[in-house]
Amino acid sequence: MVERSPAPAATRTKEGPGALRTALSLLWADKLACAAVIFLVIVTLCAIFGPMFLEEITSKPNLRGRNAPPFDLSKGWMFILGGDQLGRPLLARIIVAAQNTMVVAAGAVVASMIIGSALGLIAGYSRGRAGQIIPRLADVIMSFPSLLLAVIVLYMLEPAVGNLVIVLAITRIPIYLRTTRAEVLEIRERMFVQAARVMGASTKRIVFRHILPVVLPTLTTIATLDFAFVMLAESSLSFLGIGIQPPEITWGLMVSQGRPYLTSAWWLCFWPGLAIILTTLSLNLLSNWLRVVLDPQQRWRLEMGGKKNA
Amino acid sequence: MKLRTYLQGTALALVAALPAYAQDSTVTVVLSEELDILDPCESSRSNVGRVVLQNITETMTELDPDEGLMPRLATEWEDMGDGTWRFHLREGVKFHDGSALDAEDVAHTLVRIKSEDIVCEIGAKFFGGIDLTTEVVDDTTIDITADPAQPILPLLMSTVTITPAEAPLDGHMEEPMGTGPYVFDEYRRGQDITLSSNPDYWGETPEVTGATYVFRTDSAVRAAMVQTGEADIAPNIALQDATNPDTDFSYSNSETVYTRLDTTMAPLDDVRVRQALNHAVDREAFIGTILADGTELATGMTPPSTIGYNKDLQPYAYDPDKAKALIEEAKADGVPVDTEITVVGRINNFANVLETMEALTSMWREVGFNVDLQMVEVAEWLEHYSKPFPEDRGPEMVQAMHDNANGDPVFSMYFKYASEGLQSGVQDPKLDDMIAEATAATGDERAEDWSEVFSYIHEQAFDVMLFHMVGFSRVNERLDFTPSIKTNSELQLEQISFN
Amino acid sequence: MKQFLGKRAVASAVSLLGLVVLVFFLSRLTGDPTDLYLPVDASVESREQFRELHGLNDPLVMQFVNYLGDLVRFDFGESIRRNEPAIDAVLRGFSWTLTLAVITMGLVTVCAITFGALAAFNVGGRFDRFATFVSLIGASAPDFWIAIVAIVLFSVNLGWLPTSGTGTVWHWVLPVAVLFIRPFGLILQVVRGSMISALQSAYVKTARAKGVGNRPIIFVHALRNAMLPVITVIGDQAAALLNGAVVVETIFGFPGVGKLMIDSILQRDFTVILAAIMVTAFAIFLMNILIDIAYAILDPRIRY
Repeated sequence: MVERSPAPAATRTKEGPGALRTALSLLWADKLACAAVIFLVIVTLCAIFGPMFLEEITSKPNLRGRNAPPFDLSKGWMFILGGDQLGRPLLARIIVAAQNTMVVAAGAVVASMIIGSALGLIAGYSRGRAGQIIPRLADVIMSFPSLLLAVIVLYMLEPAVGNLVIVLAITRIPIYLRTTRAEVLEIRERMFVQAARVMGASTKRIVFRHILPVVLPTLTTIATLDFAFVMLAESSLSFLGIGIQPPEITWGLMVSQGRPYLTSAWWLCFWPGLAIILTTLSLNLLSNWLRVVLDPQQRWRLEMGGKKNA
Repeated sequence: MKLRTYLQGTALALVAALPAYAQDSTVTVVLSEELDILDPCESSRSNVGRVVLQNITETMTELDPDEGLMPRLATEWEDMGDGTWRFHLREGVKFHDGSALDAEDVAHTLVRIKSEDIVCEIGAKFFGGIDLTTEVVDDTTIDITADPAQPILPLLMSTVTITPAEAPLDGHMEEPMGTGPYVFDEYRRGQDITLSSNPDYWGETPEVTGATYVFRTDSAVRAAMVQTGEADIAPNIALQDATNPDTDFSYSNSETVYTRLDTTMAPLDDVRVRQALNHAVDREAFIGTILADGTELATGMTPPSTIGYNKDLQPYAYDPDKAKALIEEAKADGVPVDTEITVVGRINNFANVLETMEALTSMWREVGFNVDLQMVEVAEWLEHYSKPFPEDRGPEMVQAMHDNANGDPVFSMYFKYASEGLQSGVQDPKLDDMIAEATAATGDERAEDWSEVFSYIHEQAFDVMLFHMVGFSRVNERLDFTPSIKTNSELQLEQISFN
Repeated sequence: MKQFLGKRAVASAVSLLGLVVLVFFLSRLTGDPTDLYLPVDASVESREQFRELHGLNDPLVMQFVNYLGDLVRFDFGESIRRNEPAIDAVLRGFSWTLTLAVITMGLVTVCAITFGALAAFNVGGRFDRFATFVSLIGASAPDFWIAIVAIVLFSVNLGWLPTSGTGTVWHWVLPVAVLFIRPFGLILQVVRGSMISALQSAYVKTARAKGVGNRPIIFVHALRNAMLPVITVIGDQAAALLNGAVVVETIFGFPGVGKLMIDSILQRDFTVILAAIMVTAFAIFLMNILIDIAYAILDPRIRY
């Protein structure tokens, strides 16, 4: 096995001002990834600045103007996506909700990924007791219904954003833990790991320099899809009445609140649903692009200008 | 998204589906929740009642929304004084197992609904704190004594489903049994319940010869099932699914939505603050928007058809300026009007409860109240709604929906307004006396007394009274059936006929 | 292998016990079922009677000891809400859910591996982009949305399938199809990712260099190597289905264990919650053991 180490790419991007330009031109080479990055930047900006400017409009109900249909500019451009069940502009609501949504989804995904993969690395690499006990921990978490966990945590604490992150993060730990462990079980038997060990590399070095880079692509794939999963899980919790509650808003909550109107005012849950889909899609395109860029064997595709797809 | 087009196209599908079912004299009813229990003594729960009440088991008396109290298993009754009533039973009535209905069965039923080993809902809901003793005079005559005396005992008996003397006192019945026009066949848990008509029924033989009950949680699915012909009646669908005027009926469903104020806590102990809360709400704006057309503004806890409902009362007008003025006035007298008030709403309590609460909260904020909305699930909600209230609470307003289809305010008033009432936020000795007086009164005096109670509560703005709700049913066009106020708690198959 | 299985059985039994302890005490922190069971107007005496009847007044530790004592005799207790033993309700629901999960995961596994591997074979190609796009949209669309649109389209308008319920084979089509979409998207992506890595690995290259130009052989070689993370993710998705496909069960009126679990949690029917968790946990533990055995079979270098 030729080591598929990310080191060369990583060092290259550290080379100074030229590196950014290289990265941008590589990005430009993949038009879809480019669009994805632009979309994600917009979402991030909305998440940071949206609540500051739009909080006011999104909290004023106007019952007589409820469920206003989309693409009608007579009420102002904020109503281009239509009005919600209380007559508030959907576009503004989606922008404001981006903040909570991103905090919950990113918080839960990042936390579960870090904790899960760390435990998975230990469980996979260790031949001792940790290798036996940690997977059983995953078993227990997997069989503990997430809904019950949500009820317990949110009943005793408040249904606040932070607690929701805890609940969702815990329930997502097993998938990272088990995937990492499974991969490590195999990688640790590979030639280059054995070689590194024989050459006296420290465990830390083997795990972080040799094993983690190989596992990372799979974990990123799962994490980007998990983003959608977490947003939707949060939506169903809200629907069951144990998630985030108004006046706080998230895309998931908007989707679940729009659900009864699915057949009469489709736009209520369509737009926030679309926001979730586009975010997931963008993250995935970005992670596929990163995978190509960080892989010396595939990078040529982009350097060739992305014209040829082998 | 061509959903709209699809929906319009469905008229065709409906027509196509009809002939296949037209010959069939059984009906399929799609309910919103699975039944966890089928015991007749739980039939005051609406989900059990829709299957069991008056179909499988019958009551001594029956309340007709238009005609008043009617005989059913009892043919007549008279007040013997001292809290005792004598009931004469219908002759020739048989239970489904063939045994004849007699006074012993009634006596046993009354013991059973109060049994400590079952804790039936009928007993807990309607006979809490009432001791019942019976004396069997002969096979078809029974004296029932209530302590304390109940002037409306015959009305109370319209809630009690009569079961045979063999029904166990220490557990639920495996299969519901009674005297009704339908016999229980089978309950395939999670799937369906089937009933078939009772050949030995004492009354007229109904047109519907059998029924199947299925369960779907989602309102859109229930509506779709009637549309496709998979079901005949969906007793309860959401406003936004009631889109076809030919099959969808709205009916007043005896539920009243209000916000209970904790009047023992500042600033809610000040009548001006409470009136300001009432004036701040634009009630009309809800109707035809998030709540259905036909929803009525409420001035009292019970439906307008209840005796003593005070029809002269006017809902508090929407007047934000007046609300602000009242707040100012209270503030000038040192009432802490800026204190944060928590609004507690109950999740999934009725369709659009969340929207309703969000809108209410913003209306209160608009006039300057410092309110904070908390939507909680039922278990947590109950901790705020029922006594004992949390020790460390601040001033609270609790949204609730109350159902009283029983025709008399007594089923509501003590619980909701008396100082000792379990869900009462009021501590007012004058009101306590008024309620006690009305409870003991009879005849016209009773109606008058209740009317005064309604008027006093309204004047004092003890709560923010909101709406009398309507429900929606979808009924297949092959049936001749019009839902009424009782459809919320029962669905009598014998009242259904075919077109 | 025998030793491994023995160890695993013991470890799993300990985990199961831990789970029971955890759930028993934690679930009781969420409140008393009395108020949920009785009407809000019920008198204080009725409430007291109810607590006494169901042993809710005993100290928690006592309740737990009693529960364990019954459990040893395989008595899972009576449901508070339902007029039947908790385990009956759970097993009935679980048999539905298990069937649903097996059918769905079987289809998902076959389809996702085939399409994922094909996509990886020509990275960036038209098929790859299409498969990625479709699977991602599937994986991030709300399932209730798909479910309701499917009912409106296929049942109400086209009249091809029944809206909901059980009874005939046709009743299974929509629930399975809706459940299929999300795991399909996720697993397809994982298969694609691991296949890309595997196809680049040294031994596939060696095989090619040696002149094993035959694509299927390479394919099988690479696939085998790519299977470890795939199996893990399949397991994870299957576990999620076994825990109950709540939304789908709710919408389609499917009497599975997920709906039962939700109702029991919201109603605080503790015996049913516990029984349901034990049954599903048992299934999940068993599945995880099988997965670990599969690892060892697929890759003989792996030893435990």
